[in-house]
Amino acid sequence: MTALVEFGRVGFAYPVPHRTARSFAIRDLSFTVAAGEIFGVIGPNASGKTTLIRLLSRVLEPDSGDIRLEGERVRRLTRAAVATRIAVVPQSLPQGFPYTVEELVLMGRFPHAPGRFFESEGDRGIAVEAMTAMDVLELRAEPLDRLSGGERQRALLARALCQRPRLLVLDEPTSHLDLRYQAECVGLLRRLNGSSGLTIILVTHDLNLAGELCHRLLLLADGSAVREGPVESVLDEATLEAVYGCRVVVDKHPASRRPTVQVVWPGA
Amino acid sequence: MSARRRTARVPALVVGGMRDAMLTRAAALALLVLCSAGPAHAFTVTDPLGHTVTLPGPPKRIVSLVPSVTEILFAIGAQDLLVGVTDFCDHPAEASKKRSVGGMLAPSLETVVALKPDLVVVTPAGNREETFVQLERLKLPVYRVNPSSVADVLDLIARLGSLSGREKAAEQLVASLDRRVKLVADRVARLPRPRVLYVIWPEPLIVPGRGVLVSELLALAGADSVTANGGAPYPRYSLEAAVARGPEIIILASHGSRQGVMAREKWERFSALPAVRAGRLYNADGNLMHRYGPRVVDGLEQLARFIHPEAFGARPP
Amino acid sequence: MTAGTRLLAVLGALALVLAGLALVALFVGSAPVSPRSVLAVLAGRAPAALEQVVVLDLRLPRILAALLAGGALAVAGVGFQGLTRNPLAEPSVLGVSSGAAFGVVIAQVFGLRAGVLDALGLTAFAFAGAFIAGLTVYGIAARAGGLPVHTLLLAGVIVGIFFSSAITVLISIVDFDRLGGVIYWLLGSLAPIPVGGLAVFAVVAAVGFWLILGQSRQLNLLALGEEGALQLGVHAERVKRRIFAGAALLTAAVVAFAGPIGFVGLIVPHALRMLLGPDHRVLVPTALLAGGVFLLAADTLARNLIAPAELSVGVITAFCGAPFFIYLLRARATRIGP
Repeated sequence: MTALVEFGRVGFAYPVPHRTARSFAIRDLSFTVAAGEIFGVIGPNASGKTTLIRLLSRVLEPDSGDIRLEGERVRRLTRAAVATRIAVVPQSLPQGFPYTVEELVLMGRFPHAPGRFFESEGDRGIAVEAMTAMDVLELRAEPLDRLSGGERQRALLARALCQRPRLLVLDEPTSHLDLRYQAECVGLLRRLNGSSGLTIILVTHDLNLAGELCHRLLLLADGSAVREGPVESVLDEATLEAVYGCRVVVDKHPASRRPTVQVVWPGA
Repeated sequence: MSARRRTARVPALVVGGMRDAMLTRAAALALLVLCSAGPAHAFTVTDPLGHTVTLPGPPKRIVSLVPSVTEILFAIGAQDLLVGVTDFCDHPAEASKKRSVGGMLAPSLETVVALKPDLVVVTPAGNREETFVQLERLKLPVYRVNPSSVADVLDLIARLGSLSGREKAAEQLVASLDRRVKLVADRVARLPRPRVLYVIWPEPLIVPGRGVLVSELLALAGADSVTANGGAPYPRYSLEAAVARGPEIIILASHGSRQGVMAREKWERFSALPAVRAGRLYNADGNLMHRYGPRVVDGLEQLARFIHPEAFGARPP
Repeated sequence: MTAGTRLLAVLGALALVLAGLALVALFVGSAPVSPRSVLAVLAGRAPAALEQVVVLDLRLPRILAALLAGGALAVAGVGFQGLTRNPLAEPSVLGVSSGAAFGVVIAQVFGLRAGVLDALGLTAFAFAGAFIAGLTVYGIAARAGGLPVHTLLLAGVIVGIFFSSAITVLISIVDFDRLGGVIYWLLGSLAPIPVGGLAVFAVVAAVGFWLILGQSRQLNLLALGEEGALQLGVHAERVKRRIFAGAALLTAAVVAFAGPIGFVGLIVPHALRMLLGPDHRVLVPTALLAGGVFLLAADTLARNLIAPAELSVGVITAFCGAPFFIYLLRARATRIGP
């Protein structure tokens, strides 16, 4: 398999104790993501999932180890170059984000020509394509704070597509969404992965989403990799219980036959 | 002898000051004569602050940004030369009829320019530096004054007299003012000097210190100003510090056109003070004493009447 | 219509308004100069020396000063609001204008001057004060690896308070004579600036404007949060440094030449944002012109309302700015639905 992303013994610690009261670290983390797959990163809160995204997208620099993108060291690339290959879809937009859908989507073209003042005709065309693909074209002039959660997420996805990335990284894509939009999201991601072979890294705490959507998973705990591999092997009762600290039952989804994880609630 | 002599800032006895004033006046006239002997079109004078001011000829259109200068010009009969005054030039009454150029801090440069003056009289104590700079940039001759003693005032009258061609009237005015000052000084010469607190402004408490006109007036009027030794010209005292000096007379200055009572009740509370016990609180007309014009002598006489009523025909307290 | 053409159209309209207002300002004043004479002077057919002096030496430099100062303050406001993502950010919150004011007050109180009565001497003190304040703010806020925006705001407020208190102390001990002048300056006043001074002002303002304009697109992306902007390839730290430097330069220049003038840097960016949207590539150039128009209008009122006396322009901006802002807020509130 051709490795799109390679983490080689990456270590990182926040310089001062982060908002959580302990100095957080990623320890000796190694994993690979193959081109064309949907790769899930799961683990309890504060296991390092968000830090992983930040390291990959060059928001943070690792203290040790190597991060490679298509064989090249990410450190060697300019920020803009990284952004033309990796598109990060955040969980949400900051409070009071004033721009319209179209303006947001056009922001995705910045890394391709950071020196330009205004976007080119070509840029605008790409934005229209992306908005059409994500079905938000008719919302193009709407300010984002007037949209529903699902519409907002489609707009963010459109922006990510505008970046024409090789890799899409989603940070908790469904955590704020109604069921309907969760389903919609899964469909969209499958379509993107299937039709254009877009590699997707999905960071989520929703184990069932991961089980349904991903080909392979990485289970993190306390900044270290616990297990990496196909979904069935990672979503294993004993492993999950050890990491999450509660009893679980791994089953098969009645419709899709993909693994599901159910908590064994106490006291019944 | 130099005509650029700056009068010493130490409050001097009148006699010495008078001599200075006369010498300076003589020097100014001499300079004028010397200058007139030169090229007919150049009229050069040196202002009291030492700057040389060159005009094409004797000034015919003067803008005064200094109320006391306006008063002096009227007093020596040179008011026809005055084409512009400030909003604060309210004495004599006719001065208000002259064209106003605005306030002292922010006069309208356009109005000044439109009046086509050939001389603008200003003072660093009241006008802004920026205004002088702008005027000079507009090629308007600027004449700076800053009198801080009686001698300075008389000298200024003399200078304005020679500037305006009213030397005779100025001489007469100076002589008469001189006489009145001497009269006061003589009468109080052998009298005891009571301790006086002069209040320029009650809150914050601002009093006259070293080297300012009011301090000199108080000394001339036969008083011992309790604040005259302060290092600054207008120091701010705490109420305590002022009261601690045990003044026997308290004089409260009033400002503006209203002769209101300036915080008189505040002082009357201190019944232990000699001044209050003796009932010697007076209201002085600030317009007389804080403007460096001919009326300072009126102010001096007013002070003398408060401080030594017996010597000046007023009823004793 | 593309974004570029739309911007040009807006700028063109503003330029027309500006030119018209400048002409009106040239026509009105305390001195009796007829509009025909004004035009004659401008065309080079100088009728009388008086008219030439009034128009070319008094009114025109003052108009140019107002346009420059207003534009500079408005652009600094746009930049600073974009940088801090805080609608209350105003150039004075940078701490720089208090530092500059302190420099000038020190010079005035202690009668320090470069010997020659030259207004440029005062501006040197203003720049020195601004420089010290700006460096202090930057020094307090900067951490290894970055310039956190909330610390920047706090540092700016603290440094501003410090210098304002220092000014208050100076006022309390200043000579009674000089007090009026100091306080008058602190209210902000535009006076005709000589050509040399205007040139310096223009150059410094141009540098500041260029710094901010160059980062306008990045400022838009900063609305995604610093992390979001970084992930799109924006050099967030570089953007912040440049915006800070640009805003500081612009503010320092205005305070040095015209004293501290408030409200322009708060009102104009907000008003423009409400009318034209949040794109900084449109806001920054528009602010340059709109700020000039606003301050020119205010200054023209200031020098003619109670002629021949003059009001401080800062008084007018405060008086007119607040109600205008309230009106805009209410208009916007009714337009936007749930």
